[in-house]
Amino acid sequence: MTASDLRARLAAGTRAARVVAAVHQATWRKVAQRDAALAALPHAAALRDRAAEIRAHVLARLPDYLEQFVAQATARGAQVHCAPDAEAAVRIITELAVRRGLRLAVKAKSMTSEEIGLNAALERAGLRVVETDLGEFIVQLDRDRPSHIIAPIIHKDRRQVAETLVRALGCRYTEDPTELTQIARRHLRDIFRRCDLGITGVNFAVAETGTLVLCTNEGNGRMCVSRPRVHVALLGIEKLIPRLADLPVLLKLIARASTGQPLGAYTTLITGPRRPGDPDGPEELHVVLLDHGRSRILAGPHRDILRCIRCGACLNACPVYRNVGGHAYASVYPGPIGSVLAPLLDGPSHADLPRASSLCGACLDACPVKIDIPQRLVALRAEHRARRPRAPRVGVRLWAWVMRRPWLYRLGQRVLRQMVRDDGDGFARRGPGWLALWTAGRDLRRPPARSFRALWNEELRDER
Amino acid sequence: MNADPQTPAPPAALATLLARLRAASPGDAGGDAPGAAPRPRGQPAEARSAPRPADPRDRRAVPADHRDLRAVPLDADRVAVFTAAATAAGLIVHHARGTAWLPTVLAVLEKLGARRILLEPADTTAFRAADAEVLAAALRAAGREPLVRPDDDTLFEGVDAAVAGVAAAIAETGTLVTASGPQTARGTSLVPPALVLLVDPAQIVGDLLDYFADPGLATALPANLNLITGPSKTADIEGVLVTGVHGPGHVHGVLRGGGGEPGGPNAPRTPVF
Amino acid sequence: MDVALFVTCLTDTFYPRVGTAVVRVLRHFGCRVHFPTGQTCCGQPAYNSGFHAEAAALLRRMTAVFAGYEHVVTPSASCATMVKRHGPALLADDPAAHAAALDLAARTQEFTRFLRDVLHVNIAAHLRLREPATYHYPCHARAEYEAADLRGWLAAAGPPAEPAHPDLCCGFGGLFAVDLPEVSTAMLGDKLDSLRAAGASLIISNEAACTLQLEGGAHRRGLPLRFQHIAEVLAESLGLLPPDGGADA
Repeated sequence: MTASDLRARLAAGTRAARVVAAVHQATWRKVAQRDAALAALPHAAALRDRAAEIRAHVLARLPDYLEQFVAQATARGAQVHCAPDAEAAVRIITELAVRRGLRLAVKAKSMTSEEIGLNAALERAGLRVVETDLGEFIVQLDRDRPSHIIAPIIHKDRRQVAETLVRALGCRYTEDPTELTQIARRHLRDIFRRCDLGITGVNFAVAETGTLVLCTNEGNGRMCVSRPRVHVALLGIEKLIPRLADLPVLLKLIARASTGQPLGAYTTLITGPRRPGDPDGPEELHVVLLDHGRSRILAGPHRDILRCIRCGACLNACPVYRNVGGHAYASVYPGPIGSVLAPLLDGPSHADLPRASSLCGACLDACPVKIDIPQRLVALRAEHRARRPRAPRVGVRLWAWVMRRPWLYRLGQRVLRQMVRDDGDGFARRGPGWLALWTAGRDLRRPPARSFRALWNEELRDER
Repeated sequence: MNADPQTPAPPAALATLLARLRAASPGDAGGDAPGAAPRPRGQPAEARSAPRPADPRDRRAVPADHRDLRAVPLDADRVAVFTAAATAAGLIVHHARGTAWLPTVLAVLEKLGARRILLEPADTTAFRAADAEVLAAALRAAGREPLVRPDDDTLFEGVDAAVAGVAAAIAETGTLVTASGPQTARGTSLVPPALVLLVDPAQIVGDLLDYFADPGLATALPANLNLITGPSKTADIEGVLVTGVHGPGHVHGVLRGGGGEPGGPNAPRTPVF
Repeated sequence: MDVALFVTCLTDTFYPRVGTAVVRVLRHFGCRVHFPTGQTCCGQPAYNSGFHAEAAALLRRMTAVFAGYEHVVTPSASCATMVKRHGPALLADDPAAHAAALDLAARTQEFTRFLRDVLHVNIAAHLRLREPATYHYPCHARAEYEAADLRGWLAAAGPPAEPAHPDLCCGFGGLFAVDLPEVSTAMLGDKLDSLRAAGASLIISNEAACTLQLEGGAHRRGLPLRFQHIAEVLAESLGLLPPDGGADA
């Protein structure tokens, strides 16, 4: 991927006017909801500190807590598998599904499952896979990709959703969101009745009790974990918390950060499969622990990014994301979190993503677990430079060389002033060479005839 | 590194993962020690990948008790807090003293236009077998059809509303908690389009922190525990809030007050779950 | 009190009037101002883009240029952040350079912070605003130790005018502005909309980079907005500068 590919994708993103408008409206609303929710929460700042502590503490002792989690979950009847990478996770789940003769899989929204490309593999193995989160359902029908980790169709309007459902389900055309939702509900209800495999992610895993915690709103997640006879939970190894008593600290923050609610409609705690005597529930619970690069990140300087609880608040806060939309990142994880995670998980194909930031820090302000994303981005940029010492995009090397020589610096100032031709009012509308990168979008003030240094030498130094 | 799906995580796969993680053990790697003074934004602690000396703060224990961060004070009127929070979340709250719960529930079901009603009593809740019998009789008298333990087809097609109790309630967020068990199915509070839950005010815990700090909870977790906060909902289409997606769109909570006291400040009660 | 002015490359080149304002205000409050002529740039653009060797070289040079001055004052919030927060870590490999960087960091202060915390000037008391004004906080200085209380000072000087989104980034972001210019320009549009919502004609900041971006965008769109550094406003209020006329006052 060339350096210009990122620029081209982001530029195209800024030009998709309808998507940009939709993302603006949605993200500003979410920011306002989040701000209002946190303003109404007592001890919000202290809770945020505590949440960051809890997550950092777990990462500092991850093997111990994982060991505890596995023992506890197993003792309560879960079957725990370890997948060092995406291929292993896909193989484990696919073989399990085939061996059990499973035919119809329902999925709750799981970015981890997108990360490993699970759906395609299951379909190749002969299963039908149905996304049941409303946004993901639409995305699947459209063969589209989600553009936000919490609100998958933030880039679509109701008209597009209506067209999708008419085309895919043959239903009547309506643009009313309630009616559209009811159409999807009726269709999926039948699927929920017949499904035999449920696949979910996990928001938090409690080491103390071997419990999986799912935070959802629609009810599809609950269907996925209660209806089918096999439930597979895909768990990134970093998602642990130590004890049940630590869970509410994170619960108080995740829904507020995500959607401005004190709590989502359903917070589901799963501890093992169906118990003897339970009238319903899965016969088997399989927890697939996924590494896929996380242990490598844990060993390195970017470990803090693993504190992420996937709330999406950073996407909502980010002015870059707001102006380009999620697809422009070309990554399972878009936005600020994606700009750090994608290069770390996927390496070369996303090495340029850390450029997609002005380092404004809105993401850090929004993050419930205080991940310093700008710091991570600068560090990633430095690592990228170190790997490719001969490829600066703009002549930074030359510029730094000039800047170390005051006489050259002053010469450079005069050259710049010559390059910037104004229209008489002190501003240039078009600059030559690389200055055109600036003037394409904004005017440039012409450097005044006398720099400060000149003013100092000629007047200010001896002024009283 | 394949795991045979028939058996629990083979020690080899887990051991390999743990060994890899222990090799990555921090203290030498980078990362902030959170909870310390906030590090200035943008500081390049590892610009050159120079190893940092081990920071003992990285491994310090997290405080055991977070209840100093509670939102609901211990002396709060939990019924009032619950009612306000639940209402804000879209739960419809009813207060019924003594035997008034029965006409209250009947009125709710009538308003919902429910004809076939699933009843799920449980000993440890505010909706016990005797209550269910009384309600069933009243429903039949009104020409409605009470059901217990319906089969799957009936549950999905033929049930208009479910009536059940709860394992606990949380005032801070207006949350009702249902727990799976021999008498309580997961589908009851999920599949029917309407849900009526009976609550003893003594079951109401103040804060989320209180609920999860109860040592009894960890030892008595059911296989499926649900914190239900309002109706099922989505805002995926243009951010427009729509209720009643896959879970019930109408959720009612009936607080069965005792004969006398209005459920004011109480000594903290241990919920069942 | 002796103060060395670190004027910054952008202010030196594009906004010399800001430098003049800083000098006159400092002198007004009793400082003797020095201008080490060897100064050029702190290296921040290189640092943000990951060119840490180049940034380190510029920082190292800066420690030499500003050696021996008890106070170093700069009108740029982000350059102050660069020197105070990023410089020492950048030179961590070389103990002598690292010590010099720490020393420079301790002696360097952003202009308004210096006025308030060292000279104990009540900035709000001296401000005279002649038109509705609002503020822009540069992102790289929002952390508490560098933030100027622009909002508070303006509120004390007149009826408050709030942007729609006070903390919104202007889109400059260092080399980002020319590396991903379409995104930078789109962000600039959002920021200008936010500022216009304040209904003010004057935008006050303490960051040359943001001003370059904001006034460039405002001028392109023909918006009736003026941009000034808080130092200019203060100098005009104190009668140390004639009200703004021309690029070269």
